[in-house]
Amino acid sequence: MTRPLPDRSLGPEWTILELLARGIADDSEHQTVRDLLLTDTLNWGELLEQALRHKMLPMLAHHIMSENVRFEVPTSIYQHLESVLEWNRWQIEVFRREAVRVAKKLTSRGIHFVVTKGIAFESTLYGALGTRYMNDIDFMIAPRDREVVLTAMQELGFRPFFEWAKDARREEISSRLNRDHLPKLARDVDQPGVRLINVDIANSLTWTKSPFDVSVEEALEHRVEQPVPGMPGVSLPCFRPRYQFLFTALHLFREAWLQKFVDFGNDVGLMKFGDVIRLIDCYGAELSDGELLRVMETHRVSDPVAWVLRRLDDTFHTHTLELLALENHGDEGLLASQLQSSGYVRASGQSMRERLQSKARGSLREVAPAHSGT
Amino acid sequence: MEDITTQFEECLRRHLRSAKPNAINYDMELAQLGLDSMTAVAVLLDMEKTFKIRFPDEMLVEGTFRTAARLKQAVQKLREQQAS
Repeated sequence: MTRPLPDRSLGPEWTILELLARGIADDSEHQTVRDLLLTDTLNWGELLEQALRHKMLPMLAHHIMSENVRFEVPTSIYQHLESVLEWNRWQIEVFRREAVRVAKKLTSRGIHFVVTKGIAFESTLYGALGTRYMNDIDFMIAPRDREVVLTAMQELGFRPFFEWAKDARREEISSRLNRDHLPKLARDVDQPGVRLINVDIANSLTWTKSPFDVSVEEALEHRVEQPVPGMPGVSLPCFRPRYQFLFTALHLFREAWLQKFVDFGNDVGLMKFGDVIRLIDCYGAELSDGELLRVMETHRVSDPVAWVLRRLDDTFHTHTLELLALENHGDEGLLASQLQSSGYVRASGQSMRERLQSKARGSLREVAPAHSGT
Repeated sequence: MEDITTQFEECLRRHLRSAKPNAINYDMELAQLGLDSMTAVAVLLDMEKTFKIRFPDEMLVEGTFRTAARLKQAVQKLREQQAS
């Protein structure tokens, strides 16, 4: 089924990124992106800046490389994008090897764990093309294993990331108080272009003091093995799709809902919405078979998930609420009362699309002006 | 030891929106005054800077700052330890 194309009111640069984020579905969308890239008035500075903000530079680079538009793109930009893509592919390769190294260690200790987010999605939802950017390698463990895992990671040479942080004490206090993750961990590596590997190990599908939760132990019972590209016979465990979806949607809800993520420059981005769309595109049959709905109702997380999907549908012209039978969930007033949080992002009538496009994230209470178009 | 009440309350007011216009109720949970996990970090950092103390790891738990009374007590204890 052909999806409606995004309206172009926010400019050709934004339209390109929206299309890439949700995944190019057919020849018509392919041609649209190509036409937009060749638009005389395309502002390359704006396109690159927004792609960078939304962690989509490698994806944009890959698309441009594969479109055979080399001589239509300013040479310096084309060359830069080539190097961005090459570097991202290299970093992914380094991360994959490190993820396997950590996985072997945890397995040897009898730990139940999965890889999540970028390292899990890159080879499945993004076709192992090296286009999915990731800051770190994400794992999920059960809360009971926190100490054993921390010790195992230290044996692998990892140290708390706050030792490298700009404000070490803030990071240290934050990591001690927020028990939904282990302290962020990092280790120096002697690899060209990759000096540090960060590992983020969560032990909750939501966050500290969240009124919503899905048992990690339950989710870890539903693991599947995922082959690691370039490493024959090697695999990494990840959640089965319904729990991947739940974790991803709830994570997006957290970042979209809580003001603190905006304040710390960690607000929602196009790529995170793209992850949700691709999960549904890739695993739609499993996600709509009724079992996901049952799990969401059991854990009372239908409302935050529906809140995310409503914004996703409004922004990307998808029909995910209907597909997952969540049309009657996600009321914002109800969620506000459940969360009782002073840190709720009240966007004063700003749509999620405008919020994503706005570069003034710190002032979300003001409606950012829409792109004037070119 | 000198009374730290004024500095302590100024420090809280810098971070807790709901505490700004009102007298601070020392027995009320700070969460009700707007303390969340991120402002808790900011409050503790500010207390450390203001009073030249350092919360040890075992005090970096929710119980330390559940109420203004408990937090003030913790700050006073650390100041006393430092002075002795």
